Amino acid sequence: MEIYLPIAEMSVNVWLMAGLGVVVGFLSGLFGVGGGFLMAPVLVALGIPPSIAVASQAGHVLATSTSSVMSYGREASVDYRMGGVMAVGGIAGAIAGVEVFRLLRLLGQADLMVAILYLLLLGTIGGMMLNESLRALLRARDGLPAERPKVKRPGWLYALPYKMRFPVSGLYISVIPPIAIGFVVGLLAALMGVGGGFLIVPAMIYLLRMKASAVVGTSLFQIVITTLVTMILQAVRNHTVDAVLAFILLIGGVIGGQLGIRAATRFRAEQMRVVLAIIILMAGLQMGFTLFVPPEDPFILAPTNG
Amino acid sequence: MVAASLPPDVTAPAPSVPYIETQPAAGVSADLLSTDLTQNRIEVSSSFQGAKVILYGAVFQPEDQPSDVVVIIRGPQASMRLIRKVKAGAVWLNSRPVVFEGAPGYYMAASSQPLDRITDFSHRRLLGLGLDYIAMDTSRENKVVTRYGVKDVVVNGIEDDYLDWRRAVIRLKSKAGLYNDNPLGVRFVDKNLFRAEVTLPSEAPIGDYTAEVWLFRDGQPVGYSEKKLTVEKVGFERFVYTVAHRHAWLYGLACVFMSMGMGALASRLFRRG
Repeated sequence: MEIYLPIAEMSVNVWLMAGLGVVVGFLSGLFGVGGGFLMAPVLVALGIPPSIAVASQAGHVLATSTSSVMSYGREASVDYRMGGVMAVGGIAGAIAGVEVFRLLRLLGQADLMVAILYLLLLGTIGGMMLNESLRALLRARDGLPAERPKVKRPGWLYALPYKMRFPVSGLYISVIPPIAIGFVVGLLAALMGVGGGFLIVPAMIYLLRMKASAVVGTSLFQIVITTLVTMILQAVRNHTVDAVLAFILLIGGVIGGQLGIRAATRFRAEQMRVVLAIIILMAGLQMGFTLFVPPEDPFILAPTNG
Repeated sequence: MVAASLPPDVTAPAPSVPYIETQPAAGVSADLLSTDLTQNRIEVSSSFQGAKVILYGAVFQPEDQPSDVVVIIRGPQASMRLIRKVKAGAVWLNSRPVVFEGAPGYYMAASSQPLDRITDFSHRRLLGLGLDYIAMDTSRENKVVTRYGVKDVVVNGIEDDYLDWRRAVIRLKSKAGLYNDNPLGVRFVDKNLFRAEVTLPSEAPIGDYTAEVWLFRDGQPVGYSEKKLTVEKVGFERFVYTVAHRHAWLYGLACVFMSMGMGALASRLFRRG
């Protein structure tokens, strides 16, 4: 069944799009990530203009994250205060990101920037995660106790002013690092059209050293706020949100997401981290690959809208 | 809000003007041709997957003279931005975009036989007949301008490569099914009755189209007729597009509520289920 998208001004197959939503949603639910970094490249490969793909999949990220936050919220594992503080930086970052993206697009460099960011960020994070989780798996196989993470928090975290108490995360730190992290994630998220979960989770674990139980729920909460702002900004500034496309994707997404959350209980955390690391690494390498492959046609038409 | 201080958006649909001012030259008559389209309004609804329109017409000629018909369909004109991939070391980077102006968003040239057999180069060029003669422009002199609020956009500066770029525009548009040369697209179904098929893909731009029909005799244009064709969104598609552009804040908020609402609903349904 084909349907015409009013903003993208082209017709797409509903089942294909809904199916994409289900698959990405399933992976999101399974691994606790937004899944935007997987969806954008696929949408673009299917012929959706990149700016519209990026803006419309925000609906999918928003829906799956909202649904997950509600599930985590029931288990009281969301630090709303930490999430809110990070979102302050996140919103500023998203505003800056949407503007930067707009300029890059007018200069014809947006897709290039996206490819570079994917390669660098996903490549690095995927590689690190893979390395770490494989080591953990091997140690478990050899019957050794899990490596204890270095719990010592960096000193500068405590030297900064404006301290605040975050009971759920088990922290008493300055608000500056969370705001700064939020800003960077918001900026990159808007540039890459992703929620930024794969960036914020490591930042929470390794930089802020938050209590592990609060990390995923809190990151999802901050993603909800940042994505919400990004989506409104994209709609207002760039008119690139296609409500019909967003709707089809998110219907598939929420169903897939809930299935993924159920499936997640069947696997061990270490094994899932290895798989997630491989997926992130592959997504990064695949996008980065386009930088090195001679283009089929040396010329490309750049979108004029926005 | 940041939004208020920045230049206005350029997404509003450009007013569509037929590109060439077709001033029928001396000796061209409007009485020799009578044409019409099977539809002069194409409605784009959610089930739109492209459309096919038939242009048909009759030639009135007192005596049996061999004549040729050329049909040119032009879609709404929109500026285009083209980027060239350039190799820097091992990596392929993007050049700065070059802006092409005046090219139609859709173009079809159908004729009763190949254009070069119908008329000479100067007529083809003057009247914009055939893909090779679509008028489009990067402005003549080297100009660096501020466009859409971005400084230093190169509008030209490709003088030497102009043909490469131009050919690229046509190649890319043809690939998307938006530009089309059909040297046998006009078929005489009867002695003086002809028809041509116009195929619009689902990506065809929204706006006003013109169908120009030229009658040639001995290489000279002798008859001309013009019809309008409108492609417009209707119903839900139109509603969504209008709201997205006129009430962007409301639209953005609605999208957010829809997304979060569906997420919340799913979470609730699955918990109980």
